[in-house]
Amino acid sequence: MRLVLTLILVVLAALPPLTSAQAPPIKVGFASAMSGPAAITGEGVRWGGTLAVEEINAKGGVAGRKIEAYFADNKATPGEAVSAVRKLADVDKVDVIIGQTHSGACLGAMPVVKEIGVPMVIESCSHADIRKLSGKGGNEWTFRVALDDEIMAHTFARHMAAKGVKTSSILAMNNDFGRGAAAAYDAAFKKANIKLASTEFFDPGQPDYRPVLTRLKRAGAETILGIILASDGAPFMRQFRELGLTQKVYSRGSLASAEFLHQVKDNPKVGDGVVEAGYWVAGLDPEWDRKWEERHKVPPRIHGSLAAITFKHAVVPALEIAIKKGKVDRAGIRAALTEVDVKDSPLGPIKFDANHQAWINMILLEMQDGKIRILEKLPTSPALLN
Amino acid sequence: MLADVLEQLVHGLTLGSMYAMVAAGLALMLGVARLINFAHGEFFMLGAYAFWYGYRELGLPYPLAGVLAVALMVVWGVVYQRTVIRAILPRSWHVQLIATLATSIVLTNLAIIVFGTQPKEVPTALSSTILDVGGFRLVWQRLLVLAGALAIFWGLHRFVSRTRAGRAMRAMSQNREACAVVGVDVQHVAMITFALSAALAAAAATLVSPLFNIFPDMGTGLTLKAFAAVVTGGFGYVNGAIAASFLIGITEALAGSYLSYAYKDAFAFIIMIGVLLWRPQGLFGRRLGI
Repeated sequence: MRLVLTLILVVLAALPPLTSAQAPPIKVGFASAMSGPAAITGEGVRWGGTLAVEEINAKGGVAGRKIEAYFADNKATPGEAVSAVRKLADVDKVDVIIGQTHSGACLGAMPVVKEIGVPMVIESCSHADIRKLSGKGGNEWTFRVALDDEIMAHTFARHMAAKGVKTSSILAMNNDFGRGAAAAYDAAFKKANIKLASTEFFDPGQPDYRPVLTRLKRAGAETILGIILASDGAPFMRQFRELGLTQKVYSRGSLASAEFLHQVKDNPKVGDGVVEAGYWVAGLDPEWDRKWEERHKVPPRIHGSLAAITFKHAVVPALEIAIKKGKVDRAGIRAALTEVDVKDSPLGPIKFDANHQAWINMILLEMQDGKIRILEKLPTSPALLN
Repeated sequence: MLADVLEQLVHGLTLGSMYAMVAAGLALMLGVARLINFAHGEFFMLGAYAFWYGYRELGLPYPLAGVLAVALMVVWGVVYQRTVIRAILPRSWHVQLIATLATSIVLTNLAIIVFGTQPKEVPTALSSTILDVGGFRLVWQRLLVLAGALAIFWGLHRFVSRTRAGRAMRAMSQNREACAVVGVDVQHVAMITFALSAALAAAAATLVSPLFNIFPDMGTGLTLKAFAAVVTGGFGYVNGAIAASFLIGITEALAGSYLSYAYKDAFAFIIMIGVLLWRPQGLFGRRLGI
């Protein structure tokens, strides 16, 4: 027995000292809709998250510590978002969560991350309430990289008014994202002296848009603002052309996107003239686009790319700060996130304000000849809301 | 105004055709096998992917890709009957419900794994060519859907009323036990019913897919609409389900255009509840038979 103990001690003594390279990995959770009608977003987040984590690990990790990625399905609903957070926080024991892609899921997850005490960095939910409820709004555990619709609506409405738009209809998804954005644009239109002719909502995954297109035609507005994702946008634009509507289409979501063009590749000009307000587009980081296409054989997707940028340009810098301070637990990462100050991410500067909102750039995109071009890149600031 | 209403009617008939082809299959299964197949919308989804594969991936001409999709779905109908249905047919409705719902979930998730989540589009020459009659515009594919649906219902009627298998299906829908006593192979008839229902779903998918998106979840809502049509039409009475489907399609189109597009899906169920309150046996309900 004594001999065995001696041998164990000798072996232990011979082992090299514990270095940071052998420190336990940092666990990062990604939550998005991996199933259901919005599963395309979650698939993108899984692809983007995996690729970004591999990229960081290939460089040796964060200050020598490897990253482990975990994924959870929120089905784009508030209820499932709660389960997704609990799975990531309680079962996978992640240190930080990136997600939830969809506003309803974000709003559902926010009270739970606060209750558990795990930081959540939101990559793309755009409901204005998320900003109002975060940081000094009461929830110290949530941070958002994405711009919200109130911020974008004011900028976009000013742009539309400058182009001479006097009336517009809104067509929005019948969920928290769509309803939140519709309310934001309603207010922004009033401020910009644009008359709102009608507001229509639709459930994502609709096969046929002709009845609503007829309603929009009847409303007689000179423009339509579609709050719509690429998956619904493709049949919508085809039927828009079928019906012979001629209104100018503005959009928020992912209508002017590589995903949309991929879907309508038989007739890419179907989206010509659409002007979209966003904050990401393929081409902001060509190296990332190349890696994505090499791996997945399809153009880079918005939500996956946003999740990757959030990880690389907000979470990784926070982890570096936390490691430097020797506090790599959930509270330490939360505190470190408030100190993040990245000047040159593909989305623009990332620095969280008192409401834990980052003021990245807003981009105006236009589809023309089946291609997307950047019309304008606009810096944002809290002054926009005044 | 008249042109507007006419436009919605055509649109409602297109939607109704899709619902009717799916609901007819569901009604056949209910009438013959006394089973509600909650995975039937996924038959439509599989048919759509089979069509996409033949048309876009293999580059087959549209009619051939459609025939391939229908043939593959006939095989699927047989496999489904031999594996899932045969085992649950003698069991209680609870077991049947759980088994078919489970199949629906498994098929949807398998489609996500195999085909991915990016919606597929299968535009054809007919879905890209617009017919313009005095400002009334629609793509030719919508007319093909209507004509195709009519041809399919005529063929179905002939099959059920004129062929030996069709007569066996009708007999089984009236009294399964008596059929078994006189030597009808009940499982074989059930197999034909499932193959036929799957073929109907695939035919519907082939006709309407060029107009819409194909995605893994596309069958879920469709099953519920088809179920509403089957209940409204008279629980397993095929012609009733077809008529109710058109009623639902037209109501949806008109209500979506003149009342609220956001709540248009509710109208199928409002019709169903209204009919059940007024005529619990359904609009065209009768006690027995398909």
